[in-house]
Amino acid sequence: MRLQISAGIVCCLAALLTSYAARADFEMHYPVIDYREAEIEHNGSTSFDNRSSMNNNQSYTIELGYGVTPWWEPELEFDLAAAPGQNWNYNATTFENTFQLTEQGEYWADLGFFAEYQHAASRLDADAINFGPLVQKEWNNALGSGLNTLHTLNVLISKEVGRNRNDATPLAVSWQSRLELDPLFQPGIEYYGNFNNIAGPTTMSDPTHRAGPVIVGAYNMYQYGKLKYEAGYLVGLNNATERGTIRWRLEYEKSF
Amino acid sequence: MKSPLIQTARLAGLALLAFCAAAAPLRAQDNANFNIAIKEHHFEPAELDVPAGIKFTVTVKNLNDTAAEFESTVLNREKVVVGGASITVYLGPLTPGSYEFFNDFDPDARGHIVVK
Repeated sequence: MRLQISAGIVCCLAALLTSYAARADFEMHYPVIDYREAEIEHNGSTSFDNRSSMNNNQSYTIELGYGVTPWWEPELEFDLAAAPGQNWNYNATTFENTFQLTEQGEYWADLGFFAEYQHAASRLDADAINFGPLVQKEWNNALGSGLNTLHTLNVLISKEVGRNRNDATPLAVSWQSRLELDPLFQPGIEYYGNFNNIAGPTTMSDPTHRAGPVIVGAYNMYQYGKLKYEAGYLVGLNNATERGTIRWRLEYEKSF
Repeated sequence: MKSPLIQTARLAGLALLAFCAAAAPLRAQDNANFNIAIKEHHFEPAELDVPAGIKFTVTVKNLNDTAAEFESTVLNREKVVVGGASITVYLGPLTPGSYEFFNDFDPDARGHIVVK
């Protein structure tokens, strides 16, 4: 495991030094790698608000990934977006890297590291890097209830780079807790917070906070692969955030 | 003024070091270990008896030439074991019950961890 951690650190730093990254707005990253598993994944979200500047803000991604080693999964992501009142645009191409730093269940929590580089499609937009820790805690028989629960936390720092960059350092925090009732149906709650500039709090505009229910599930077709889904509704918790957002995730994965 | 890229790389390095340092004391204590072998199209043994309320490990040895995947949907575990190799799966503590596992590459191969 020490070797994996050392290799993970080297790969993270190499990825950060050689590329730039970005993050889908509402996507939970998990620190456990499915070794030798190829996946195709779609994430999407749409906002709802009375204010036209915040209504119908859409984001869609398609991702292709593969568990190259038991501790590293690279993914290539294609980002589409439509800002309120605007047409579709191809937004960015993103190179994501998830590193599993501990064996699942070996420690009090499972730890991973996420680093991605986003190359903006428009010359008017800056490229960006996102990186930070992924933490997951399995809590079986929570509070003696007999229920198994799974808790995931992502803390990702952002940095724009290259031309047209903004020197702010945003921080994105996302958290999900769910009940492992059945592989097909795991209800939970989640939170997404975005803080615009942690390096210069005096210049920070209003952060955004969203929270709401989510359903997560997977259908195993064994040698034919596995289908996974997530569907959630996020309520805006302050005035800087749109009133509601629907988010979803569909994934097909197969081992080779 | 340093470039944003160098500043970001430094920030990433510091974050990772702090992260690993925080995780170091959290290692689980030595756990009870159980062994399972994958031989042709079945697990040996197909049933493991494990005490309730403890953390434990299962060493899965693949005696076949081809890869297998130890998987359990109820235990939220999924791990590939290449031919001729072995893996360690960390589990528990579990409440009493029967927890099914299978080889995802050969789903006829199934077994249970029986927690008492």
